[in-house]
Parts: sequence; structure tokens; C-alpha cells
Amino acid sequence: MTSPRQRAIAEFVLDHLVWFMLAFVLIVFSIFVPNFFQVGIFANIVEQSTFVGVMAIGLAIVIIAGHMDLSVESTAALAAMITGILFCSRGIGIGLTLTPEWLVLPLSLIIALAIGAAIGLLNGFFVIRLKMTAFIVTLASFIWVRGLVVAISGGRSAQDLAPSIRVIGIYQILNVPLIAWIAIACFAVFSFIMTRTPFGRHVTLVGGNSVAAFRAGIKVDRLLFISFILAGAIAGLAGWLLAIRTSGATANLGVGMLFHAFAAVVIGGVSLKGGVGRLPGVYAGVLLLSSINTAINLMGLPAHYTQVIQGMLVLAAVLLDTLKLQIRQRFA
Amino acid sequence: MNTGPLLQLDDIRMNFGAIEALRGISFSVGRGEVVALLGDNGAGKSTLVKIISGGLKPSSGAMTFDGREQTFASPAAAKAQGIETVYQDLSLCTNVDVVGNFFMGREIVKKYFGIPVMQEKAMEEVVAKAMANAGTRIPSLRTNVEYLSGGQRQAIELNRFAHWGGKLVLLDEPFAALGVEQTRRGLAMIKQIAAQGIGVIIITHIMAQAFQVADRIVVIRQGLVAGDVAAKKTSPDEVVRMITGESYGGAAQETRPNGP
Repeated sequence: MTSPRQRAIAEFVLDHLVWFMLAFVLIVFSIFVPNFFQVGIFANIVEQSTFVGVMAIGLAIVIIAGHMDLSVESTAALAAMITGILFCSRGIGIGLTLTPEWLVLPLSLIIALAIGAAIGLLNGFFVIRLKMTAFIVTLASFIWVRGLVVAISGGRSAQDLAPSIRVIGIYQILNVPLIAWIAIACFAVFSFIMTRTPFGRHVTLVGGNSVAAFRAGIKVDRLLFISFILAGAIAGLAGWLLAIRTSGATANLGVGMLFHAFAAVVIGGVSLKGGVGRLPGVYAGVLLLSSINTAINLMGLPAHYTQVIQGMLVLAAVLLDTLKLQIRQRFA
Repeated sequence: MNTGPLLQLDDIRMNFGAIEALRGISFSVGRGEVVALLGDNGAGKSTLVKIISGGLKPSSGAMTFDGREQTFASPAAAKAQGIETVYQDLSLCTNVDVVGNFFMGREIVKKYFGIPVMQEKAMEEVVAKAMANAGTRIPSLRTNVEYLSGGQRQAIELNRFAHWGGKLVLLDEPFAALGVEQTRRGLAMIKQIAAQGIGVIIITHIMAQAFQVADRIVVIRQGLVAGDVAAKKTSPDEVVRMITGESYGGAAQETRPNGP
């Protein structure tokens, strides 16, 4: 038998494992990787984490609700491409302008969010109304939405985003660009929503046992629809930020981000079974991946190794999830 | 408050095509009364439970609940009136703590700028009070339900049911997965729930449990009531004979109590 105190400590460590991993990795890199320990590097890690981070929020919410959304990457790319086409002045951009000029900023954001929400709504419709498996539905979306991006761009790119939108990518607070702060703000807002509002609680309940939630009078279908729409809209936001960062959009913008987001979500402690996970942990997962990326770059290793390491990290994270369960059972 | 029985079934019949699952069931449950529903496999117990809790519509017959004739279109409709079946593992979310489960879908919120924010402290106080009133002890209300025993889970379900104004609870084999000590506590729990004026229908195969907890025993056999007797006025042997069809316990009906 173990004392409640020991158990409480074990629980705390298990629940926040990703933070310990992040701290460990940062300390080890700071000691052993030359030039790692400097403000610029840390700011860069935070900046790098922006797009995958934002995308991971929506993905995490849908997984916590007990489903899956593989379409977030393509959705982000579509939002980025349409932002690019509308508000870029070169390439395939049509250079839409408004008076006053700053109006393009909110308008482009609203358009990006709406595109994402529309795809989320479509995913939700197939999964909830037609009772199709979320994995397959969103895999299909992952493919056709990317196809749409390539089709509407004709494989070409849009460059030179309107300066009044780009301002967000240039302006910095504490060495960190505004887009990264937006990602951090998103994590703060959605962490609050997930832990403190009935919506977040219901998402967790539905992910844990949708039958019980339904029997308790929670509108499960409505809740799942909102989750999918949110995931889509958040992916749209990620795409908008991506377009700002690259000052335009290419047909293959963001390829591979899904797997980074997915890895971060799993490493961050979100269980693929649903009902378990915290968004701050997901952010720590994103930071962890970015730190490893940065360290690999600094060490001058070929970038290809990044992918190998990330794959192993995902495996390790899932293994950890299983181990945690066993440790918990011993303590229970 | 109505003084008649809580639930009155009158000549309930249920046909599935040519098969008569129930051939005219009549019995009643009083407020605060525990009724054990016994019968062999296929006797019609499950069908009856589904009809009472709104899962099935009877082919004919009348059901009076709380003084009004009712036909429930769905389990949700029955629940809204205060009738619920507690199935193990179907009504709790084990990934959430005790407080979260207790308030499932009914969270206490306070609005800040139109955004509903859960009031965790207030909710915890309510749960602590409800649990204390029922004499249930759970180490921490912030523990996820997955780490609690089957008996503790049942206590949460029943207390939650009582707290939110439940009037009649149906328990289908509630102790199937529990140990001896937990079963003993579960039975005490049922008596406590009944003492609050809630009607309880418990379905069990275990004769000893039925006699330990029930005020009245109703035996169903081949879709008919084969016996309806006060638990104190019968014996396990006699009940077994009713279940197998060697004796009819209807004579005891005159002597049955009308609840507390």
C-alpha cells in the first residue's frame, strides 16, 4: 500500500509528465548543444511552435471528445491559399484591397475561420449524421481538401501578402512575434474553456462515455458538431497565421504538419481513447518537438533525422500512455 | 403529494409479433417501497423493466405513475418524470471526478460577460452534503471515478438519482459484479434510498439478496404475475416454487402492505 501523499505526487508527475520531459530536454540541450542556450533560440522555438501548436488545439479537442480529425493540415492549407489568392499582389494573388486599408486584416481572418468552420461542419455531418467513422471521413477530407488547394492554385503560388495583414507577423513583443503570442493566447483561452466551462466538461464527459453523457441529458450530437467546427475553424486560423508568416501561400504549404500536431497531442498526454488530456500539456508537447528540431539543426545533423526522432517520440508517448495506466493501477 | 401507490401497472401486455412476452401484468410499487422482481430467464422481467423505464411501449394496458396515467415515449421522457434504470457502467464517465459525474449536464455556473464558468467549489459542497446525508464515504470527491470500487460507483449513481428528484429507480442485477462486503453495503444503500421515499424495483437472481432488501417480492412467470407477496410472509422455498410454477402466491396479495 502507498500513502495518499505518495499517490498524489505520483499522479501529479504522471499528469504533467510532458512538462518534466520538456524541462529535461531543454536542460540537456542547453548543456550539451553548443549555442543552444540563448534568448534568440528560445524565442525561435516558441515561434516555430505557432502553426503546429494552433492546429494541435483543435485536433486535441476532437480527440478528447472521442473522435479524430486528420483534416486539420489540409484545412489550414486551404485557408492559407484562399487568404493568399485574395490578398496577395503577386503570383496568383488578385490583390483585393479595401478602404480603409486595415479592414483586410479582420476580413481575411473571418474568411479563414469561415473556410475552416465549413470543412469542420462537413466532417461533422458525415461523422455525426451519417454515422461514418471519423478516421475515414477526415482522412478523405485530408486528401480532397489538399487536392482542392492544388486545383485552385493550379500548383502555383501567391506572394506578397497585403502589408496591413503582414504586420502581425513582423511586430514583436519580447523578441517573440505577434503570431506566436496569438498561439499562446489560443492555448490560454481554450485551456480555460476546456477546464472551466460546461462545454469543456461536456466534451470530456462525452469522450469518456458518450452513452452516460447522453443519458444524463447532454446533447451529444450538438456538442460533437461544435467540436468538429471548432477544430476546423482553429485550423483555419493556423492557415491564416501560416500565410502571414510566409507572406503568401504555396500549394504544398504545411505538408507534414498533421503528423507534428498529432505527435504533439499524443506526447502532450491526450489519450487516443478520448476523454483524457490537457491543452497546456499539448503546448508543452509542441514546444518539446520544436526544441528537438532546433537542437538537431544546431548540431548540424541532416534534417531527415528529425522525422525519425519524431516518429520514435510518438511511439514512446503511446507506450508511456500504456505504462501510466499500469502505474496508476498499482497506486489505486 | 399524491397518496396512492407511486407506480401502478394495470394489465400490461406486450406482443412481439405472435409471441406474447407479457400476458397481463398488474402490480404496484409504493413510495419508499423496495420491490424485488424475480423470475426465471425469459419470464419477461427485462421486457417489463423496459416498459416501465420508457424503452418499450406496451401493446396494451395502463401505467399510472405518481397519480397520473403515463405512456413514456423514450427513456428520456421517463427520466424527466423521475423514473430511471441504473445500469452499471452506463451512467458514469469514469474519466471524470465524482463531482463532475454528480453534476453531469447540470453544472452550477456563474456567467462572466456572458460566458458560463463552472463553480467547482459550490458543486463540491453540494456533493459532499448529499454523500454525507446518505452516509456514503468516498475518500476524495476529486478522484476520478475509474479509481473507485464498484460499490462506490453504485453509491454515486444512487445518490445522484436521489439528489436530482428521482422517484422510482430500477436496478437490474445491481450486484452482479460486486464482492460480499460491497454487496452488503449496496443493500444498505438501497434501504437508505428507499427511506427517502423513493420507490425501488430490484431485479435479481439471488434469493438471499431479495429477502435481505425487499419489502415485497413479485414473481413473474411466463408473462404473468405468479406471485406478489410481502417478503416477511413468505420463504425462499415458496418463492422458488412460484418461479418454477409449482405454487401461486397470489393469495398473499390481500395482505401486502401499502408502503410506509
